[in-house]
Amino acid sequence: MERVRVRPKMQRPKVHIENLNFKYQSNSVFDDLSWTIQKGEQWVLSGISGSGKTTLAKAITGLADYAGKIEINFDNEIQLPAKVSLVESWYQFKNVEGVANFYYQQRYTSQQAKETLTVKAELAHYGKENHLAFADVEPILNALGFAGLKNSQLIELSSGEHKKLQLVKALWLKPQLLIIDQPYTGLDVKSRESLNALLNDVCAEGVSLIIISNDEELPICINRFAKITGGKLEEISALEKAFTNSNYELGEIPEFLKQAPIYSSGLIAKMVDVNISYGEKEVLKNINWEVRAGERWLLQGPNGSGKSTLLSLINGDHPQSYANELYLFGNKRGSGESIWDIKQHIGLISPEFHWYFDANSTVLESVASGLYDSVGLFKTLPYSKKAQVDELINFFGLTENNNDLLNTLPLGKQRLVLLARTIIKNPELLVLDEPCQGLDNQQTAYFNQLIDKVCSNGMTVIYVGHFESQLPSCLEKRMVLENGEVKEISEIKNKNLTLKETIKDFELTI
Amino acid sequence: MSNYFNTLPLREQLNQLGVCEFMDISEFADGVEALKGKKLVIIGCGAQGLNQGLNLRDSGLDVSYTLRKEAIEGKRDSWKNATENNFKVGTYEELIPTADILINLTPDKQHTSVVNAVMPLMKKDATLSYSHGFNIVEEGMQIRKDITVIMVAPKCPGSEVRAEYVRGFGVPTLIAVHPENDPQGKGLAQAKAYAVGTGGHKAGVLLSSFVAEVKSDLMGEQTILCGLLQTGSILSFDKMIEKGIDAGYASKLVQYGVEVTTEALKQGGITAMMDRLSNPAKIKAFEISEEMKDIMRPLFQKHQDDIMSGEFSKTMMEDWANGDKNLLKWRAETGETAFEKTPAGDVKISEQEYFDNYTLMVAFIRAGVELAFETMVQAGIKPESAYYESLHEAPLIANTIARKKLFEMNRVISDTAEYGCYLFDQACKPLLADFMKKVDTDLVGKNFNEGKDGGVDNRKLIEVNEAIRTHQVEKVGAVLRQAMTAMKAIKTN
Ligand SMILES: NC(=O)c1ccc[n+]([C@@H]2O[C@H](COP(=O)([O-])OP(=O)(O)OC[C@H]3O[C@@H](n4cnc5c(N)ncnc54)[C@H](OP(=O)(O)O)[C@@H]3O)[C@@H](O)[C@H]2O)c1
Ligand SMILES: [Mg+2]
Repeated sequence: MERVRVRPKMQRPKVHIENLNFKYQSNSVFDDLSWTIQKGEQWVLSGISGSGKTTLAKAITGLADYAGKIEINFDNEIQLPAKVSLVESWYQFKNVEGVANFYYQQRYTSQQAKETLTVKAELAHYGKENHLAFADVEPILNALGFAGLKNSQLIELSSGEHKKLQLVKALWLKPQLLIIDQPYTGLDVKSRESLNALLNDVCAEGVSLIIISNDEELPICINRFAKITGGKLEEISALEKAFTNSNYELGEIPEFLKQAPIYSSGLIAKMVDVNISYGEKEVLKNINWEVRAGERWLLQGPNGSGKSTLLSLINGDHPQSYANELYLFGNKRGSGESIWDIKQHIGLISPEFHWYFDANSTVLESVASGLYDSVGLFKTLPYSKKAQVDELINFFGLTENNNDLLNTLPLGKQRLVLLARTIIKNPELLVLDEPCQGLDNQQTAYFNQLIDKVCSNGMTVIYVGHFESQLPSCLEKRMVLENGEVKEISEIKNKNLTLKETIKDFELTI
Repeated sequence: MSNYFNTLPLREQLNQLGVCEFMDISEFADGVEALKGKKLVIIGCGAQGLNQGLNLRDSGLDVSYTLRKEAIEGKRDSWKNATENNFKVGTYEELIPTADILINLTPDKQHTSVVNAVMPLMKKDATLSYSHGFNIVEEGMQIRKDITVIMVAPKCPGSEVRAEYVRGFGVPTLIAVHPENDPQGKGLAQAKAYAVGTGGHKAGVLLSSFVAEVKSDLMGEQTILCGLLQTGSILSFDKMIEKGIDAGYASKLVQYGVEVTTEALKQGGITAMMDRLSNPAKIKAFEISEEMKDIMRPLFQKHQDDIMSGEFSKTMMEDWANGDKNLLKWRAETGETAFEKTPAGDVKISEQEYFDNYTLMVAFIRAGVELAFETMVQAGIKPESAYYESLHEAPLIANTIARKKLFEMNRVISDTAEYGCYLFDQACKPLLADFMKKVDTDLVGKNFNEGKDGGVDNRKLIEVNEAIRTHQVEKVGAVLRQAMTAMKAIKTN
């Protein structure tokens, strides 16, 4: 691989890529890909899941090996750091010295030995490393609604907040070339608008931007569009509809998913004045909520409003549930049931779950582990179950990946695997916390159709979504959280709205 | 009180040392039934206390905590750990009389005073549980005859006990019933149910005895686990500095190197670790580890002898009585080593580079694991116990070094392990002085294969492979690892 970083003469393009080749296993991802980015150009890069967008971003940043030439010409007339930064769509934070397993131990557990840094300490460290003034980060924190979190431990942040922290750092640094992979996943509407405004600002100061996204609401500074197809980069005039709409046909669903779930109780979950706090910080306040068998809920709220914590109570994950009045599947919580008794009724996915899932599991093991609610498979699969797992994997079009390790697949595929894991038991309750993060629009539409289909057999659903373009149409009730409180409980009247529209619809009502 | 082990006739000593049975998962079919509806009260809410308690509660059991008065009144961390996770907390007087199972998870050093304080408050026919047998075996604590005494000892730090449980798995666990205190014969059923409650049954449970657990645990921690990792790390770092390797690089190589090399150990034993080296490096590592085994064998044997005779615990308890004078002195000295004081440099070291540039550590680990294992087995400890206390725990301890060097390791391990570690380290460094004079940067700091042609003699390689693969620790390990292949990699980067 040839990396060239030279001082500019006039007219040199900012980025010049020639004959880039990259193979993954034995498949070509890039086949003589070329791309030239001139000064003043701000690009959006799109493409279906697995087309190589993330790999290209990593190659430009110098984080992936490749064959071919990538030339980056920094501009020494502007003050900005001569750097390429990549904000990855995937971010796994670590504790003080880098261990990730502790996540399972500590995410909801209160523990005096603090193992992660606070947001403030993390930023101070970053600022020092990059010679940045702390005063400059304040307005960014304010714009993204992050100022109140300065004293939070990193482990207390929600997935959306983690994403924002990465964006905050990049916007603070203002590297000459900034690449952002899926900037909007997990962000609420307001943050998304603020982000676009901030991106416009940094572009005006001379940052060149590459955004990887199939989204339509982009910062106005964007002036060029490209997509990757067949291993090559192709300039397009605007985001193509092909990425934003699709009518993918759902095949015949596996037999076991056609069975109506057998409910142990008509009452799935009931919360009476539920409160959760960490020290002074109140995360949930007086929550009263009832979910009955067969109901399909949409759960909404800004980043950090307490959605994931609420779901952790239902999934048996939160230690503080023992001190609250909570009924799950007909039993009072803390009346002698184990968390495995609870989980056995539930199929769950969330961004955090995906982050910390054992990525050294094969596709088959990952899906099968849903039968036992474990992270990774610790049992030999009985023959009858194996057939069921195979059938579902086949239905998701993942059969050829059966024995691949999760961490060798693109994020979209990993996500599909974990989605298959949620329904492998044909559970009574599906908890889908931002399930379609990382999927392209086609995959999202496909998954939503599947949800609609399994719902028609009477499955209960709780669905959390921020900004995916499409929701399953089966959702019929909505709860909105804000600052840990129930803001609204209502019926969703207008079905078939996109999530964006439901949010707007909701904003008009408050 | 006198050393319990030393009061036993030889026949009984060997009998108890030899209790060791790997339990089949089918033996746990009754789940937590034997503890259902019983009141479990945990004394102490530290690393083991909090994490075991969280697991037991999440398994549907009734768990509360009793803490000493000062901890409750001063709202210490242990009090906060328990109350903020919504456990009931009370004084000894409030909770101990209600306890069906009283679980002692205070530091070993405090056990005599804690047990003396709580025993009179315990109701008749209750059970007292430990996670380490030191108090019973080495201090000879006598427990009221109506009380059942059991042990459930997870072979991992508390944080792992919790993390593996939440993933739907568990950590390997030793259980035991004290033969002097099992009046109703219910001890084993309760210990098994407890192991189910912490998730241990999914990762492999070894039925052991208090004696076997203590004698093997002490031996493992002071020799290979903490002692030799400390000695090896310091000697390696000093050698690199002496030979002009960049200090930041040396610091990083040593800090993370043990973790990366022992990760291979965890997956596939000594064989897998050695197989990560090139053929010439493997032969070299084999040869120097043989040499180190010969040099260190008498020291390993001395440690085992002192543990068996009670000499070790006697001297350590004298130091306790003396305000921890030696412990504190050695702790301070460790804090002052050049390795401890040099921050890891901001250099990227690839996973393979940790093997190629740190062949010396691979040799240290092979020598230490095999020696500790051999010495324990010779002393009458069963191979399965010896495996858990040597090879199995090495990656876990290595992980603490990767986090914050030796300081962190010595903070996380028990006082007993820390004391034994320093004792070993003090004696081992001078022993290896001559050996270390011959060591050059090809073994530590630079790629061993650099400038070598990579050729080896077939017969030599076959012989080395054979010796590594057929060692008893490899055979036992293969079986026991089968039960825990699923444990998550504790790798950093
Ligand atoms: N750490 C391990 O990896 C490990 C593994 C297996 C078994 N074990 C065993 O588990 C047991 C507990 O070890 P640990 O590492 O969990 O200990 P730890 O983290 O040091 O916690 C000890 C707890 O006991 C309390 N305590 C200290 N002195 C006390 C006293 N005099 N009276 C009453 N309470 C006292 C402390 O709270 P306050 O000071 O606030 O009162 C603290 O909550 C030991 O027997 C150890 O051998 C440990
Ligand atoms: Mg130990």
